[in-house]
Amino acid sequence: MMRNGLHTVLIADDEAPARARMREMLVDIGGWSVSGEAANGADVLHQCQQQLPDVVLLDIRMPGMDGLETAAHLARLPVPPAVVFTTAYDEYAVNAFDAQALGYLLKPVRRERLLRALEHAARISRLQVEALGRENPELGARQNIPVTKLGMLILVPLSNVLAFVADQKYVRLLHYTDGVLREALIDEPLKQLAAEFVSDFVRIHRNSLVRITSVDQLAHDDAGHYSVRLRGFPHALPVSRRHLAELRLRLKQ
Amino acid sequence: MLPVLKQQVPLPSGAVNTALNPRADAAASTRHSYLPDFTASPNVLVLLVIAQTLAFMLSLMRDYPAGGYLQNLGQVSLLTLWLAVSSAWLLALARPLFAGFSVALSSALALAIVLANTALTSEVVYWFGQTYGDQHLTGPASIFPAQRGVSLLRNLLIALVVTAAALRYFYVARQWQQNVEAAAESRIRALEARIRPHFLFNSMNTIAALTRSDPKAAERAIEDLADLFRASLGKPGEPVSLEQELDVARVYERMEQQRLGDRLKVDWQIENLPLDMRVPGLTIQPLLENAIYHGIEPLDRGGVVTVLGAMTDGMLTISVTNPVAPAGQHRKHEGHQLALNNIRQRMQLAYGDRGIFEIEQLADTFRVRIGFPLPA
Repeated sequence: MMRNGLHTVLIADDEAPARARMREMLVDIGGWSVSGEAANGADVLHQCQQQLPDVVLLDIRMPGMDGLETAAHLARLPVPPAVVFTTAYDEYAVNAFDAQALGYLLKPVRRERLLRALEHAARISRLQVEALGRENPELGARQNIPVTKLGMLILVPLSNVLAFVADQKYVRLLHYTDGVLREALIDEPLKQLAAEFVSDFVRIHRNSLVRITSVDQLAHDDAGHYSVRLRGFPHALPVSRRHLAELRLRLKQ
Repeated sequence: MLPVLKQQVPLPSGAVNTALNPRADAAASTRHSYLPDFTASPNVLVLLVIAQTLAFMLSLMRDYPAGGYLQNLGQVSLLTLWLAVSSAWLLALARPLFAGFSVALSSALALAIVLANTALTSEVVYWFGQTYGDQHLTGPASIFPAQRGVSLLRNLLIALVVTAAALRYFYVARQWQQNVEAAAESRIRALEARIRPHFLFNSMNTIAALTRSDPKAAERAIEDLADLFRASLGKPGEPVSLEQELDVARVYERMEQQRLGDRLKVDWQIENLPLDMRVPGLTIQPLLENAIYHGIEPLDRGGVVTVLGAMTDGMLTISVTNPVAPAGQHRKHEGHQLALNNIRQRMQLAYGDRGIFEIEQLADTFRVRIGFPLPA
């Protein structure tokens, strides 16, 4: 979003000296206003929703959620910023995306390159950024699930998630956060979630996906209907005949 | 009701010592006998040259009537070459059985095989001379003996001396080759242990930032970086004093401190260590680098790396402990094992089985401990 007639930039880097240098270079270049600084992925997501910067200068190697995953979440905001990745030296990251489609800067960044990247960033489409997180097999599964709460996008770490249960229209996300069982609604098809998180989750029914290591008990009633109980969740979840064999196999492993 | 299914929680709950056993490499290198494969081409040539040289020497030692020398040389050559080739073939057949035997035992067995072969061949030659002997075969220049016992004993003694000398030659040649390979390997490993490129570029970026905000700090950071690369690009594989190696690690810590700020704390517990002891260069610094790169950087709030040095039982041990990010909060990097494997291999090359390299992975900490034996 323009501020005082200037384009705005969010600087995201976990290292303070790196942020300071970027800020100074933006002052030198002129024509850009720094909307804020963030030190981790969750902070980037938070600030982007409040400040709506035009461009995010995003460090790839950050603690918690790295820059590539952060970018994938950013791309799904209602007003996504353009993303320019920065990295000191990370072959894995540079190879992980098509350098033609997205800009990235090698640190220490040169002023001319920064300027060129900022101009280029404005032209990158939202779809290209989204494709980065979704379709790149090298990136693997996301470590966080984005959830909308009071109009803000927040992230639930995948390690907190117990199960995904599909309702009529949405998918209910059951998660333990801060020691409390919580529920959130997400707008992603269960089929896609099942494919993405296949290493930790197993399909037990057309409408539910559960964490394998949370399964406490597999039981059946007199009529032969199977159900599972999850550790830390009060209700039993039905298991369909179709998914029973796979569930048993995964539990044995 | 079906029986209750119990699932294991995936977090490692106790001490897990990974399978980086330093003995594994040592076992692999002694599994093969020092005896070479005599049917391989360069070894066959060596054997043929030895056999033919022996034939020349034996023939030259006697006086002959006219033309006798060539006749004798022909027959002796036939005998020695046959013995060389057939013995080589027998040893090649027996070689797999020698696996795991000591040098002395496999040498004795090899000698026994060659001597038995020689005895058998001598007997056949004697029998042949007795049966088919005529003017040509049994003349004064021939090898067909008149007295069985003396001839057999002489052949056996010659075979014993020559075979023992040949075995000694192959043993020394193999030792030499192993030394050359070990030296080359330790040089390569030392080259690999050099400071990682990401550190250089991150440091450059930090210095670029400091140049404006704090020129004095920038100046010192450049001096530190120069010191680090002098150590890193120095003679690879050369031992340094413990004091130098700890200095390198401290300078490295200072560089990373500039970059990571409050997130990095290093607790040095290294009192009363023999600072002039020689250790392989770049063994302690990479452990610290690894702990910071994989332990501290992925943590939002950072943490403490503990470096603990101790003298126990004629051994200097250094352990480096770092916190581990909770599972699922960071992407896996493969570089971890690579760097540690490198240090393990170099400790193995420098100290064989006398050194220590241990990894201990708990749910929330990761510790690497290395031990340098004191010089005898």
